[in-house]
Amino acid sequence: MPTRPDRDGEERVRVLGAAWEEAAGYWQDEVARHFETDHWTPLAERSRAYLEALRALLDLLETANRDTEF
Amino acid sequence: MTTVHADIDALKRLHEALVRYRYAQRGVAERAGDEIEATRASLADKASRWAARLEQDQADLDACRAGRAETADCSGLVWAVEQASERLERIHRWQQRVDEAAGEFGVTAGGFRDLLDNDLPRAESQLLAGIASLEAARRVQADVP
Repeated sequence: MPTRPDRDGEERVRVLGAAWEEAAGYWQDEVARHFETDHWTPLAERSRAYLEALRALLDLLETANRDTEF
Repeated sequence: MTTVHADIDALKRLHEALVRYRYAQRGVAERAGDEIEATRASLADKASRWAARLEQDQADLDACRAGRAETADCSGLVWAVEQASERLERIHRWQQRVDEAAGEFGVTAGGFRDLLDNDLPRAESQLLAGIASLEAARRVQADVP
């Protein structure tokens, strides 16, 4: 059975987060702070919002299919 | 030497992870679109089947009422018409809910797609520039006698 796309997306976020944590451990200059503010934080927040919306939508689609199986 | 370049290697791995993330999330978005369309198609198919069923049941009920004596029992057909009608209405309500939810999700998905197509490549470029800068600085340090 294929994995739901939202769960795949969440796994991708986890993998990317691990790469960021590793890099942030070494990279702590001014450029890093700008990168975090301008790119990393918006990316993490919007990814989270997108995947939450996707999860809610897929739950609704599953319910719609289940509730109309007569 | 490995320790000296550990930061650069970590940034390169972050860059690779960002690129993979961009492609992977595009795939997730495409699969999400497929799920929406599959559900819409399934509901449309069910609506079509139950509309046909309702039409047939109603015709059978009309025939029962028209062709028999007043004492004829058409209650089974009445029940069948009510059931088909309720199921068709339920499917229509779900079609409406799915359309509304898909529309709302489309706004969020559009913003995320914009992030993947525009913001993320900019982040990757900035990261590459940072890596190049660090590598250049290391070369200068290595050249100092």
